[in-house]
Amino acid sequence: MKKLVTRFGEIEYSKENSLHFPQGLVGFENLHDFVVMPNEKNGPLFWIQSVEDPEIAFVLTDPTNFFLDYKVVPNEMEMETLNIKDAEDCHALSVVTVPESKEISLNLAAPIIFAPGTNRAIQVILENTQYQIRTPLPKVEEMKPAKTKKAKKKQAQPGASN
Amino acid sequence: MLVLTRKPGEGLVIGDEITITIVESKNGGVKIGIEAPRHVKIYRRELYDRIREENIDAASTWTIDDIVTVSENIIRRRTKK
Repeated sequence: MKKLVTRFGEIEYSKENSLHFPQGLVGFENLHDFVVMPNEKNGPLFWIQSVEDPEIAFVLTDPTNFFLDYKVVPNEMEMETLNIKDAEDCHALSVVTVPESKEISLNLAAPIIFAPGTNRAIQVILENTQYQIRTPLPKVEEMKPAKTKKAKKKQAQPGASN
Repeated sequence: MLVLTRKPGEGLVIGDEITITIVESKNGGVKIGIEAPRHVKIYRRELYDRIREENIDAASTWTIDDIVTVSENIIRRRTKK
């Protein structure tokens, strides 16, 4: 166990709960190692704390919690960086912005692609995408049915609702 | 900043691996061709800058209390029918 003093206080981490960004994140190209912090409350949010800069931490979520049909497929170069052979060995995460209003938004235009098998991640910028940098959560009445991991493969209809 | 004047068809070489060609210039726009190794990332600057700024915002404006509040809101949304 290693210890790290952050803006949230002292945290402990080990190799098992750390995440490596070989290329850093956009604007943070020098930050390569993060600790994955579970959310103490239930819910889909968790956060990652930079090992190299105690001031820097990002809230992340699996965007398919809110946008069932969202999917990002890595290209060959990205798969190489993630050290994976199969595009199915990774999935997208979104950076969550929490403004003062607490009306959070997801950055669907620059997702993080995470490979659980290798504990590596990259942030990619989607060119020519409809997805917004500040995508608000869908309105409650438009909410799609809560998904399970298997739901992704079922190719659920984007417009489906309960 | 290094400023050079180039005409359509002319180009620049940056280091050993990157070549830039001015393809066309008309109506105030310039079409640029870039040859670079696959690992070199190329983005339109305004897009890159916006993502960078959003990351900076996302990295520093929240507290643990925010996460608790927002998580509770999300759970409440889900139980609402």
